[in-house]
Amino acid sequence: MIIVIDGINQHKFNHVLDDMYKLRARVFGDRLGWDVNIQDGREKDQFDDLHPAHVVSINDEGDVVGCMRLLQTTGPHMLADVFSSIMDGEPPIRSSQVWEATRFCVDTKKLGRGRGKNSVSYVTSEVMIGSFEYAQEAGVLDAIAVIDPVMNRVLQRSGNAPCDYVGSAKPMGKVVAMAALMDCSDERISAIREYADIDHDVFLTDEQALERFETGRIAFQQDATTANLDHQPLTELEKYFVEQMHSATTKTEVEAVLRLIEALSDRFTPEQKTALLKTPRAFAHEA
Amino acid sequence: MKLIDLAAIDHEEKSAYDIINSVCDELGFDYASYATTHPVKGDVQGYANYPDEWKIHYGSQGFHKVDPTLYQSALSIAPVDWGRFNHDDKFNAVFRDAHDFGITDRGLTVPIRGPYGECGLLSVTKDCSDTEWKKLKKHVMGDLQLAAVQAHDTVMQSGLLAKALYLPALSSREKEILQWTAEGKSQQDIGDILCISHRTVEVHMRSGREKLGALTTPQAIGRAIGLGLIYPG
Repeated sequence: MIIVIDGINQHKFNHVLDDMYKLRARVFGDRLGWDVNIQDGREKDQFDDLHPAHVVSINDEGDVVGCMRLLQTTGPHMLADVFSSIMDGEPPIRSSQVWEATRFCVDTKKLGRGRGKNSVSYVTSEVMIGSFEYAQEAGVLDAIAVIDPVMNRVLQRSGNAPCDYVGSAKPMGKVVAMAALMDCSDERISAIREYADIDHDVFLTDEQALERFETGRIAFQQDATTANLDHQPLTELEKYFVEQMHSATTKTEVEAVLRLIEALSDRFTPEQKTALLKTPRAFAHEA
Repeated sequence: MKLIDLAAIDHEEKSAYDIINSVCDELGFDYASYATTHPVKGDVQGYANYPDEWKIHYGSQGFHKVDPTLYQSALSIAPVDWGRFNHDDKFNAVFRDAHDFGITDRGLTVPIRGPYGECGLLSVTKDCSDTEWKKLKKHVMGDLQLAAVQAHDTVMQSGLLAKALYLPALSSREKEILQWTAEGKSQQDIGDILCISHRTVEVHMRSGREKLGALTTPQAIGRAIGLGLIYPG
């Protein structure tokens, strides 16, 4: 589900924003190798200080699994100030009815393949629907998005093909960046909804989003206290299992890890074993 | 920090005031106002067509220093429905008084950010039912965005320095499309000529119109010719 965080409600969502900056660091810094500034494991730039709107996808456990950043093209924005080479030296588009979308990403580690609710494809569509509907309600008619060719293909495949491009694609660090135009129309929104099979309202109210995040945190804390009773640092073997559990993407893989823990149970105290079996999530956070 | 009614001191340049009046007349709002904070002095300056008694009361109470429809709305990129402030003590303080002057707390503010990081705010109010408000918002939001950017640019361009900084920087695409329009071509024609979609033509056209501060395409063509950016068709 989607929560829009802007300068007005951001004080309630500092923890969500923090998780979002961490996700962006993992995606743009580690995975895509963009030339971005990462500090303390968080990717943040000067545009984040200008009170943009962040369209954030939060899963049932309260984790940030996708996001996108929106700015007005009337004010400072990336195509005008950072990605200006894409515009081939031309002045950027400036209109109160065109927004700029940047820093779109999803958590490929937490999300799986396929088309289900916890898939990359579903969350991609959810963030897109959230952004376009939010823009549409604001009287905005088009969005200009800075994307890479991979994202471009994802959009074309998911009922959300850009209607045109502005300027020309330019290398940025290890990747190529391009500026895509997308109309914020009913047609586009229904095409994405149809592709992703999403027909419900995707937005959470501030209260619902906070509740969701709190529930996730309480569950996590309970896990952590019952799980790590001895409060000892994790052993190498425990860490190994945690990593395995973390990288497991299917149910079969999870079960395989659990079987392995069972098989090696003589290496643990009974408490450690129950903890590992019961709450992989609690440990995963410590590794 | 002062509250400055630009309409009271600025007799030649009334067009921002005209814009807020036409927002009320044409889009069906009770009252409208435009405000921006002076980047150096921090004064709140702008135009409002509220009753004079309310403007005086607002200033004398120093509401412009606390009013969240100004300070909070500047933190959003999207129009802010004042419903978002109904738990805000400062909002309630301002609008409890407003009520005595016959002004409703049902309104919204459209923030416009300018290229130098400054922010202009167009606010409108209408005393009506929930359903009517919802319907009205959906219907006029695009027009409000346009009115907001026009009001902001008009005020920003009224200073000489700003005028120099604000000379419209049209891209070659925007100029090309304006030139073909001056030649009498339709959007569809231009799309075909330039091998781009008519939607893209529309996006560049809109951007060009706004940069020229024009309400309509003919006005934009006139201004572009006047500025020597394109040739008469």
